[in-house]
Amino acid sequence: MPALADIIPRVRVRYLPVLIVMTGLSACALFRAPPSQPAPASTGTAPAGSAQPAQPPPPTPSPLTPVPPAQPPAPTPSKQFHLGAASSALVTQAHQQADSGDVGQAAATLERAVLIEPDNPLVWIELGRVRLAENNPAQADAMGRKALALATGDASAQSSAWRLIADALRARGDDGGAADAERRAASLATR
Amino acid sequence: MLSVGAAILAAVLYALYLDHLVVKQFEGRRWTLPAQVYAAPLELYAGLPMTLSDLEHELQRLHYRRTEGADRPGTYRLAGEHLEVALRPARFADEARPAERLTIATAAKGGIESLQVGSGHEVPVLRLEPLLIGSIFPIHGEDRIVLSPEEVPPLLPLALKAVEDRKFDTHHGVDPSAMLRAAWVNMRARQIEQGGSTLTQQLVRSYFLSSRQTLSRKLREALMAMALDAHFTKADLMNAYINEIFLGQDGDRAIHGFGLASQFYFGKPLSELDLAEVSLLVAIVRGPSYYDPRRHPERALARRNLVLRQMAEQGVINTADATAAAHRPLGVSTRPSGAYYPAYLDFVRRTLRRDYHDQDLTEAGLRVYTSLDPSAQDEAERALEHELARLDRQRKRGADALEGAVVVTAPQSGDVIAIVGGRNVGYDGFDRALDAHRSMGSLVKPFIYLTALESGRYNAATVVQDAPVDVKLAGGGHWTPENFTHQVYGPVPVVRALAESLNLATVGVGLDLGLPKVAATLQRFGLPQPPAQVPAMLLGAVDVTPIEAAQLFNGLANGGFRNPLRAVRTVISADGKPLKAFPLEVTQVASPEVTYQLDRMLVLVMDHGTGRSGRALLPPDLVVAGKSGTSSDFRDSWFAGFSGNHLTVVWVGYDDNQPTGFTGSAGALPVWAHIMAGLGTSSWNAPMPESLAEVHIEYPTGLRATAACATDIVAVAVPGDAAIPPRPGCGLPEATATQSAGVFERAQQWLRSIAH
Repeated sequence: MPALADIIPRVRVRYLPVLIVMTGLSACALFRAPPSQPAPASTGTAPAGSAQPAQPPPPTPSPLTPVPPAQPPAPTPSKQFHLGAASSALVTQAHQQADSGDVGQAAATLERAVLIEPDNPLVWIELGRVRLAENNPAQADAMGRKALALATGDASAQSSAWRLIADALRARGDDGGAADAERRAASLATR
Repeated sequence: MLSVGAAILAAVLYALYLDHLVVKQFEGRRWTLPAQVYAAPLELYAGLPMTLSDLEHELQRLHYRRTEGADRPGTYRLAGEHLEVALRPARFADEARPAERLTIATAAKGGIESLQVGSGHEVPVLRLEPLLIGSIFPIHGEDRIVLSPEEVPPLLPLALKAVEDRKFDTHHGVDPSAMLRAAWVNMRARQIEQGGSTLTQQLVRSYFLSSRQTLSRKLREALMAMALDAHFTKADLMNAYINEIFLGQDGDRAIHGFGLASQFYFGKPLSELDLAEVSLLVAIVRGPSYYDPRRHPERALARRNLVLRQMAEQGVINTADATAAAHRPLGVSTRPSGAYYPAYLDFVRRTLRRDYHDQDLTEAGLRVYTSLDPSAQDEAERALEHELARLDRQRKRGADALEGAVVVTAPQSGDVIAIVGGRNVGYDGFDRALDAHRSMGSLVKPFIYLTALESGRYNAATVVQDAPVDVKLAGGGHWTPENFTHQVYGPVPVVRALAESLNLATVGVGLDLGLPKVAATLQRFGLPQPPAQVPAMLLGAVDVTPIEAAQLFNGLANGGFRNPLRAVRTVISADGKPLKAFPLEVTQVASPEVTYQLDRMLVLVMDHGTGRSGRALLPPDLVVAGKSGTSSDFRDSWFAGFSGNHLTVVWVGYDDNQPTGFTGSAGALPVWAHIMAGLGTSSWNAPMPESLAEVHIEYPTGLRATAACATDIVAVAVPGDAAIPPRPGCGLPEATATQSAGVFERAQQWLRSIAH
């Protein structure tokens, strides 16, 4: 099996993130203050994540709009995911349910959070943690990877995702892969 | 003497037999409850972009009534930018909630600002109760919602006694004086006009007997009624009557009991009915077909007012109230409620049949919580109906009507939020969304190009040859496909070959990759059967149902992660215990890098290619991705595409597989675009993986270019180390890899890692 770390190409450290040295512990991400940014403008009744990072949407390519050449590519803007107030409350509730031994209820509560903020890697990491507690490391691993794909640009969230993947791999008996994932988590945490 | 003794013995045995039958049936019958199926509850939270009128619409869907005070559960009132709601008690899959008062504050520019319950306690998130969307009733078609005596408004038993059985509290199952009176009336009229049956006799008839009124049946009915009366209390019998009696017909679904009848006619719980509404239900008892308030409103109104008069005469209500109620309109909802979504329920039923016996579903009182989003379902039904009517007018193929099917999912969770099985949405027949196996046509192309990107030998700017193809077949024939336009386009970049759905270029790429590779990709994304590995597979000679097409595209919409599509989230037993959950699951089936590159090309389908004509129907700033599909001879018209939070698949065609004359862009695309526009969906904006770069290329040639030196420029995502030659005269540096590491090797390693 190839090194799992190779699945996601190594992040180039060309620009140091402007902000904060993150503590890098996954749980810390959950209890940050709610974002000051309101939900992105969106019409209709579709749930909109209330914690979108301040990043422009991908450009709608149009032949009519003059576009500047894009090589070399701009560095990925650094950003930081937060849980919205609704997800944050549900995550807190899920923790209480899990602490009192009701992992199934905790999972159901976290699924509500995923449905409210499907683009937020932090809710996927939480759900992955519960899957691990439910003794389902395969899903924990998959949710870690789902979170990783969403966490582009947020080293702290990426680190938490790798840590979940590491724990999931260890639970599946893949100690080599787990150590590798652990290394990635650590290197991202110090960025 | 002996024969008399034998006759008496036979009579006694018969009476004992009837007695036994009555008791057994009556006790057993109370437990047969069809499973009730609920839509997904609407989650409310601060920041949710819903306006006051959106919210009001959702409350009305749940049959909340706007009143002055909003003091009874099931009512609300508007106060400036606030909405005050008296919530009904609700049962969710994971908890029960008592009735409570909710205040929703909205911002002037739209969007929920805060939620408060009780007297000012702020909550971050709260669910409205889930809409009851139907039940799983047995083949003989009885459907009901069973109510306990506490859930029945006290007025109803009083009204029933006043109108149907004045001596109910004192008789022993039969009321001889009422029977004599009825016989007298019937004799004078020379036909049967009055039943004279007690409520108990009506109950017996509904339980055990047909309604044919012969003398022997009457006798048997009377004996059984007396037996019932001897064994059970009046309160038990009244409650059984209220839950048992037939009150209407909806297709092959028989509406039994006042609980369901209240939902069926008024769309709200029995406890919320007013005097006029209760009286109408009591009126219907006498002849649900004859007094059907939807088909015969005048008859129903006259009988309702008669019921009101009788109640006033007997002092159950006062005359002033009776007169006021008699002036009210019938107030029946136009569409039978439990709004009834047959195609969706069909999917729910099939999911449950894997785990449950029919009898569990129709008798055990299960509660089934689904992913259905009623507003998305309404949108999908409306768009399909409306657009098919328009297309029919264009096509003018005599009496034959075009058919269609729609599946809408929330791609990140795999929740199926809407299913339309045909244009006649109320008809519980052939469910095209689940059962129409049709050629997927060009819907296969994204999976060919995804396979190409995975091979590491192609990217969006790679130039491929759109040139004549001649494949020798095993049987000795030749396969010589053509482009839709019958033209040959020569060298074209991959992005254009996909956006314009060029057949020859795609077949060239597919043959280069090999059929097994493409077939494997389709199976990884969820195609249930391995496709026949013939060259025509590359042009979509693969039969899929609309729901299978949705499963395949869901993986593209979800960044390369496959979720098993789910309609059922949880099943709860009658006493509230969770029986079965279908948890949210994801499995990675393609790398985020490869999926992102492909999805960016699918965005260009909408802006540059076969999806272009749908653009005008969509909000201009909405980013969506999609692909059209047309099978040979225009037999099937497909469109599959997604935004940030919705995936919609539309199929249009004839049931008899005749050509429609419509391409995917002409037939299915307008349906798709109307649905997406109506969903109020948000833009596709997956984050670009860090190893990729956005590059601007000239659309016809695939050469790197800028707006300063070329006119037809598109942005594509390619691996950071992709070397793309510049267009001469643009002053761009020669192709250089911007990243030294081999992204392709990694992608291939990754593929191997998931292959084992």
